[in-house]
Order: sequence, then C-alpha cells, then structure tokens
Amino acid sequence: MGSIISEFLKLKRSMSWSVVVLLPIIMVVAGSGSTIAVEGEFADGWHTLWVRSIGFYGMAILPVGIAILASLVWRVEHKNSNWNALMSRPVPTWQIVVGKIAAISILAAVMQIVLVAAVIALGKFLFGLPGMLPTDYLITSLLIIAAQVPVVAFQSALSTFARSFAAPVAIALVLTGASTMALLLKIPGVAMTPYALLTRTTQTGSATMLTGQGTSFDVSALTPDVVGVTIGLSAVLAVIVIAGTSIILNHTDTRT
Amino acid sequence: MNARAIMNEFAKMRHLRVGLFVALLAISVALMSMYNAFGSGAFERLDDPNDYAWKTLFGGLGMGAALIAPILVAVIASRQVEIEHTGNGWLSSATSGLTPGQMCRAKFVSLGVLVAAATAVWGVVIVGFGTLIGISTPAPLGRWAAYIGALIIINLAVLAFHILLSAKVENQLVCIGVGLVGMFLAIFGELFPAWLAHLVPWGYYPLTVQSDYVGEVPVYFDLPYLSVIGLAVVGGALFLFVTGRFDRQEA
Repeated sequence: MGSIISEFLKLKRSMSWSVVVLLPIIMVVAGSGSTIAVEGEFADGWHTLWVRSIGFYGMAILPVGIAILASLVWRVEHKNSNWNALMSRPVPTWQIVVGKIAAISILAAVMQIVLVAAVIALGKFLFGLPGMLPTDYLITSLLIIAAQVPVVAFQSALSTFARSFAAPVAIALVLTGASTMALLLKIPGVAMTPYALLTRTTQTGSATMLTGQGTSFDVSALTPDVVGVTIGLSAVLAVIVIAGTSIILNHTDTRT
Repeated sequence: MNARAIMNEFAKMRHLRVGLFVALLAISVALMSMYNAFGSGAFERLDDPNDYAWKTLFGGLGMGAALIAPILVAVIASRQVEIEHTGNGWLSSATSGLTPGQMCRAKFVSLGVLVAAATAVWGVVIVGFGTLIGISTPAPLGRWAAYIGALIIINLAVLAFHILLSAKVENQLVCIGVGLVGMFLAIFGELFPAWLAHLVPWGYYPLTVQSDYVGEVPVYFDLPYLSVIGLAVVGGALFLFVTGRFDRQEA
C-alpha cells in the first residue's frame, strides 16, 4: 500500500489528471457529436450513444491513454539518480513493479468512470435520452477496468526500460492498431493478447454491434462465461508480465 | 543552413532509433489503406469502371494518415528534441556556436527528409499494391501525386509544430497530448467548419481527403490546392519566425 501511496505523491503536479479527465470526455463528445452531425439522432438511444462513445475509444485511444499514464508514472524514475534510489529500496522488485502497475491501473479505472459519467451526463442532460444507461454497460465498464490491467502491466514494463516518454506511446498505438486489425480479420487466438483482449472487452455486450448494425468485429454478449474468461485471462496475462518484468529488472545493472 | 548540424542530427537518430518509428509510420499507414480496400470489397470490384478499388485505397490512406501520422510524427519530433532537454544539449550547443533556433531548423530538415520519404512510400506502396492485385482501370497517377504531395506538406507542418512545441515545453506529456488532440481533430475534423480546420495543421488531413462515401457510393473529391499551398507558406514563415526568436533567446 505504501508503494501505491508514494506513486500518487510523485504524480502530484504531473498533469496526469488531464489525461484521465480530458481524454474520455473528448472521446464521448467527438463520438456523440459526429453521430448527431451525420445521422441527426441516436437511432437506438443509449445503445447508439454508448457504442459511438466507446467504439473508436476502445479500438485506438484507450491503450494510447494508458501508455501516456505509464510513461508519466515512470518518468520521474528516469530523471537524475531516482532509478538507483528506487531499485535500492529494501523491498522485493516485484513489489515495486506491482506498486507502479496498481497506481496506473487506478488512474485507468478513473478514466473509465469519467467516460461512463460523461456518457450519462450527455445522454441525460444534453441529448435528453429517455431512461438511463443500461446496467449491462456498467458491468462492461467493470470488465474493461479488469481488462486494462494486462495492458497497464505491459506498458509499465515498456516505460520501465525505455527512458523516452514518447516511444512507449508509439508502440501502444502500433500494437493497438495491429490488434484491432487482427480482430477484424478474425485471426484465431488474437483475443488472448493484452491489447486485443482490451479492445474486444470494450465492445462486449454492445447491443448495436450484436445486432449487426456496427461495422466492427464479432462482439461477445455479456454472459457469465465471458465475464469469467475476461477476468481470468486478464489476471493470467498480468501475472506473466509482472513476473517477466521483475525477473529482467533483477538482472539489470544500476544506471548513471 | 548548417550542414554539420544536420549531419549531427542524423547521428543522434541512430541512437534514438528514429528510423524504426519512421518505418512504422510508412508501413502502418500503407497497411491501413490496403486493409480498408480489403474490408470495402475492393477485391470483388477490381473491374469497376468507376475506380471503386482506387477510391477505397484513397479513402483508406486518408483514414490511416489521420489516425496514425499525428501521433507518430509527435513521437518522432519529441524523441529528437527531448534529448536536448535531458542532456542539456541546448546550452552545450549554444556555447559551441549553434543556437537553439539553428538546432530546431537542423532537426526539421533532417527529420523532414525522413517523414517526407515515409509519406512518399505510402503512395508508391499503395499504387504498387493496386496494380499488383489487378485493378483494371489505370492508376490515377496525377491524383496520387498531388495527394501525396499535399500529405507531405501537412506532415511537415505537423512536424515543424511539434519540434517547436517540444523545444519550448520540457514536459513531453504536453507534446504527446497535443499529438493526441491532433489525432482527434484529424479524424473528426469533417465536423468542424472549413475555416476552423484551416487554423490547425491537423485540420488539413480531412480537408484533403480524396475519396469518401456519399450514400452507398465512394466518390472523388477535389484537392484544395490553395489551402495546401497556404499551409506551406504560412507554416514555413511561422517556423522561420519562431526559430529566429529562439536564436535570440538565452539557452
């Protein structure tokens, strides 16, 4: 717990809030605005608003946002002699790695909460949609928070070893694009990789997609099986990345 | 222009693996264009006399450039400038007679050559792909050349902006964040009034799109030559003005 708290202390004045708050809001405004501009209405109410807000976000933007957060969290460690100070703390390496991942995961979770809040606020107050955002999408959001963890772990690993702020962001963009393309091409097994798992999870239970009105890949319905597999796979992938990062870090020399 | 400063920038790139990111820029956008053609059923309509397959390739290039170039160009510029902040390169270069403004210009020329080459690769690869899969109508080479020329100017304008931003703001979060906002503007720019799209370099990606669906049918659009030339002239003048001011600032 101490590791996580110290990470948030380091993030004070880091402008991480700008990513956490602005990115999902811009996406919801852009997605819903483009729908209104082109189609004039949300044909299927909340379902259309949700899929237009989360569709492109999950296929391209979300992993880039996570990559920026990971670069931010590791940025301070690459300055001056902070790296050596961090690695010489009297705690096992895996705890340092998990502390960083936990901090980034919390920020990513808040990002998802902001997205849901923005969808509800726009749907209810700006577009006057009847009723409320279906509960399934709230459950999907919880699943997304879980599926974010392997991507967070992988991006954290990249930012651990890359001193550059920007390089891991570029890698996230390319891997996300490749994963989305692989999902669209229905390449077998691709959904078991971190980026594809996250992209696929963001579209889970999307009614508009499930009824074939979307222009996307096969979308899973929100069933207990899908929930179980997503959470289980997320946990396994995260553990693998954490173990790999810790092992490599344990064999890494000090830095000047 | 200081040739030695430009060669020095190329030397820095080797260590920064800038070539890898330029290659990613070249390959990923070309792949996206090809994928768009595949996904739009171009392979089933290779004999369409109305250029259906070429139009889907143009449309894919417009989408790929808007989605990928703003971020990757921001990353390329950020990496090349970030090292001057971390290694105190501005001061050490200034003491040896190379002012910050000259350094920015050298970075622009060296990176600009690579970004322009990557953009040219999009055209060559996509036209080659279209010919290879057997599109029966001849490649609209004039349209391709004009569009690739326009994309080179837009990418260079975005590059110049990011070099200046990365030089001025040490926190690279701002630079990458602006790149991300640029991506939004490039993708959703069609929703903005044309005058607004003219004010930012990313707005020119949607302005210059060469093909899109009108109803069920893809159609060609005219390239706004004057707007693109205006971007080149105004962007170039602004870059020279700002780097000129950098020359007179204390490092």
